Amino acid sequence: MRHPGVFFAPDAGGGAPPPWGETTVVGARRPRIDAYERVSGTAVYTLDMQLPGMLHGAVVRCPHAHARVLRVDTARASAMPGVRAVITSDTPGADLPFYQTEKGPLSRLFDSHCRHEGEEVAAVAADTLQQAVDAARAVTVEYEALPFVVDEERALDPAAPKVHDSGNVIGEPRVYSRGDVASGFAVADAVVEMSFRTAAQLHTPMEVHVSVAQWDGNRLTVWDSTQGVYDLRASLAEAFSLPLASVRAIGTYMGGGFGSKLELGKYTLAAAVLARRTARPVKVALTREETFLVAGNRPSNVITVKAGAKKDGTLTALDARLLGPAGAYPSGSTSAYLIGDLYRCANVRTEATNVFINAGKARPFRAPGFPPCAWALEQVIDALARRLGHDPVEFRLKNLTAVSQLRDGQPYTSTGLEACLREGAREFGWQQARAAERHTGHIRRGVGVAAGIWGYGGDPRATAIVTLYADGSVNLNTGASDIGTGTKTVMAQVVAEELTVPLERIQIEHADTATTKPAPSSGGSQTVLVNAPAVRGAALDVRRQVLDIAAAQLKRPVEELSLHDGAVVAKDGTRMTFAELKELGRKRLVVGLSHRHPHPEGKVALPFAAQYAEVEVDTRTGRVSVVRFVAAQDSGRVMNRFTFDNQVYGGVFQGIGFALSEERVLDRQTGKMVNATWHDYKIPTMLDVPVDPVSLPIDPHDIECNWVGAKGLGEPAHIPTAAAVANAIHDAIGVRVLDTPASPARILRLLADRQRKG
Amino acid sequence: MLPGFAHTRPSTLAEAVERLSAPGARAHAGGTDLLGCLRDRVLAADTVVSLSALTELRGISTTADGGVRIGALATVAEVAAEPAITRHYPALADAAQAVASPQLRNQGTIGGNLCQRPRCWYFRGDFHCARKGGDVCYAVEGENQYHAILGGEVCFIVHPSDTAPALIAYDAIARIAGPGGSRAVPLETFFVPPSTDFTRETILEPGEILTELLLPPPAEGQRGTYRKARIRAAWDFALAGVAANLAVRDRRVRSARVVLSGVAPVPWRVPEAERILAGARIDARTARDAGLAAVKGAAPLGNNGYKVDLVRGIVEEALLALA
Repeated sequence: MRHPGVFFAPDAGGGAPPPWGETTVVGARRPRIDAYERVSGTAVYTLDMQLPGMLHGAVVRCPHAHARVLRVDTARASAMPGVRAVITSDTPGADLPFYQTEKGPLSRLFDSHCRHEGEEVAAVAADTLQQAVDAARAVTVEYEALPFVVDEERALDPAAPKVHDSGNVIGEPRVYSRGDVASGFAVADAVVEMSFRTAAQLHTPMEVHVSVAQWDGNRLTVWDSTQGVYDLRASLAEAFSLPLASVRAIGTYMGGGFGSKLELGKYTLAAAVLARRTARPVKVALTREETFLVAGNRPSNVITVKAGAKKDGTLTALDARLLGPAGAYPSGSTSAYLIGDLYRCANVRTEATNVFINAGKARPFRAPGFPPCAWALEQVIDALARRLGHDPVEFRLKNLTAVSQLRDGQPYTSTGLEACLREGAREFGWQQARAAERHTGHIRRGVGVAAGIWGYGGDPRATAIVTLYADGSVNLNTGASDIGTGTKTVMAQVVAEELTVPLERIQIEHADTATTKPAPSSGGSQTVLVNAPAVRGAALDVRRQVLDIAAAQLKRPVEELSLHDGAVVAKDGTRMTFAELKELGRKRLVVGLSHRHPHPEGKVALPFAAQYAEVEVDTRTGRVSVVRFVAAQDSGRVMNRFTFDNQVYGGVFQGIGFALSEERVLDRQTGKMVNATWHDYKIPTMLDVPVDPVSLPIDPHDIECNWVGAKGLGEPAHIPTAAAVANAIHDAIGVRVLDTPASPARILRLLADRQRKG
Repeated sequence: MLPGFAHTRPSTLAEAVERLSAPGARAHAGGTDLLGCLRDRVLAADTVVSLSALTELRGISTTADGGVRIGALATVAEVAAEPAITRHYPALADAAQAVASPQLRNQGTIGGNLCQRPRCWYFRGDFHCARKGGDVCYAVEGENQYHAILGGEVCFIVHPSDTAPALIAYDAIARIAGPGGSRAVPLETFFVPPSTDFTRETILEPGEILTELLLPPPAEGQRGTYRKARIRAAWDFALAGVAANLAVRDRRVRSARVVLSGVAPVPWRVPEAERILAGARIDARTARDAGLAAVKGAAPLGNNGYKVDLVRGIVEEALLALA
């Protein structure tokens, strides 16, 4: 986990603006400003793009989990109709390094050593997609299949096949320690230890991964379904040894990412190389099946947690071991953050081991490492509370903290975790639900709770420009990507709040490295809290200039003027629309610019969550239904109640998939993924999630965290979900589900095991 | 991306039979399975023969003897909604309603639902398995949580159809048109177990087309249901399913049909359970005994033992619902 850096930049106009009191546009339940375009089909996603003369690419992929390429024969493919280029590692300009490390690249764009199923071997560009796919299939590749390892625990065995010559263990285990766990357990009245395994989950964004590349001399333009155009630009500039200014990355409408579109993929490089070879724009879109193999995953985790507490509920020690597979190339695979910082505990030790396996590389996935860790920690906390006879909610309340123990005890700017637990319990009817008779025949009902914190406060560097035109319309310029969460809408609301213009008068330019200014990638739940302050600063800059212009024209002191309904209003009631401002007409525009301010010094701003689930378990079929759900979220200020609720529902539903049905299955005999299809990889349908989940915002009115008071939401809405479901299942059937998914097969096996043991 | 193929749309059944007699020809009804199989290269087609112009294969009607005729091109949604079926053959209506998703039920046909290829992920995936001409069934030693616990031999697919067990529970007759004319067989004998031939799932010979299904008139006191256990509540094949059709008079079962889905390579009729039910009153004990009988002889693989409990549970549940 990266800690927030500090970036000092002067805000234009000087001084922090006063915190918002009552807001009128910000916080309102407003539909997305581009909703009509999205549902009517006029929104052009990268996948929809058609440029004049554009070719279509297809990639030849290794069908083995681990293999060496002996020979690639492109003769037949090259001669096929419509084929414009076939590129392999031998093609000039295609031998590009990939997966850079301090010791050099671990792979090439087309590497003769294929370390996972689906790894890239060659690529084709043709006039039509059909021709490209046919030609890619006509490329003959001779492989030597190699022994493979796809299981993280087996990868630790020194005798296991090696994914890289250096061995399968990546670096040294990451150890964190404070206090002394042995003495902590020695004073505990109860100790619980359990081991868990969470299955690998796939991102499955609606829009597949896709790039369109075009060269103009030595300048490269790439349209990409990406979460961050600036990071993509930097990666492309490095790959092609180009100046940053010579690479343009453009995002358009986007159909989701969940973290899987935060980094450069080989398909994008292939598109750029094909475009250069053919002097034509080239689109390379992955198929859904390809995304399952090569576009990232939340890796499986094996986690053992041991926790001790005193009779009064005070936690005395937490000890955890985590193991996760990065896949075939380096990536984070686990996070012990929750164990170190969710609850007050003086004695903590965590040890995390990261290994290579012969499977697609992991990518960040909605709070990387946190949901698996919550699945483990929050079940152990639940069991410990029960062991000591405490209500699980009260037990958690007993162990809250107002400081970040992982950040030298720095206080939080705000923590609404207590309020999330209490208000969530009230909304859910926790006490009544626990007291109620919950079992009817073979249907068992249970309730569960889990809490969470998200550990990243955002990269504070962002710049925004707001331009007011002579007719009173506004252009908002931000580099941030709207990956489908409603970023554009929220940013427009910030502008509308300060300039009092209707949302319809605000035009947005975003996610284009040539026309917008740098913003961090839309990941880490940082988009609003990083960009909205800069947007607010820029809007306030415009506001100041407008008031100065009006003051001069009206010959009144600026203190007597304010903005109202898109006009300047004086204390005495004199009203003047923006279009009536002569100086604005002369200059044609007023430009406001702001950089985001640095994070508050000595304090930590992070979001919190507590979630409550009620489940029904059918003991005949093993099916678990989540029938009620309450998500209490301290994400600071609600910027738009509509998009806020959407984020919460999405996070919860994805968490229910993680808990109950989603699982990448790798065949033990071949190492190949057997369920790389929409049917066999089971994301929940609308019939598999609660009909009426409750999104409960908890706003601690944080005026220190940043200029808008919002903290992150996308990830904290997802972190505790699966754990809450697991605790509810235990409450229902008295059995701990240690591994995900809690599928009918697993539940029936657990029930049968229990019956056998009596 | 679909591979290339020729497409033809004959206007008569005789023409369709002739076209389908050619090597590499494949029948196209709703296409919900065929197109996926072609796209995923599970099977190849030189010619796709569309049946869409054969209007005589459409429709659902009552027959002179009081039964029902279902054209093979009737959609699964039509079967689920047909009053004659919901009223007199409820297990079939339940089963049709439990198929896939609304879109797939609107597009998919009853004939296609019976002739669809197995969902085994090795068969569907990039694995040269026995059913595709290879020499190994990957499920035996592999990821077999969804595979057969009954009737597996050489190949351990499960039959994917929900409607097949329900139709068999009603003693449906399948009518088949072919180069030699028309023939009719009990649907129960339409499916080919791997012990007979592990490369095919039906008795259809080249050129043959399933044209209609005939349901005999409902027996007196006939009641039925279809129970389907699955991971998702929609768009999912059965982990296990059971179609039960009982004729009950004076609270006693006169005759019974119990047919399983999702646990064997063919729709799996359970005569042992039917014998227990015949002449009995449905109570907790007979339901439990029938459930136990349903899994007699089950031989689970490494990861599908849970299906034994599952079948017992849903058979019990289905029967108690009919008590």
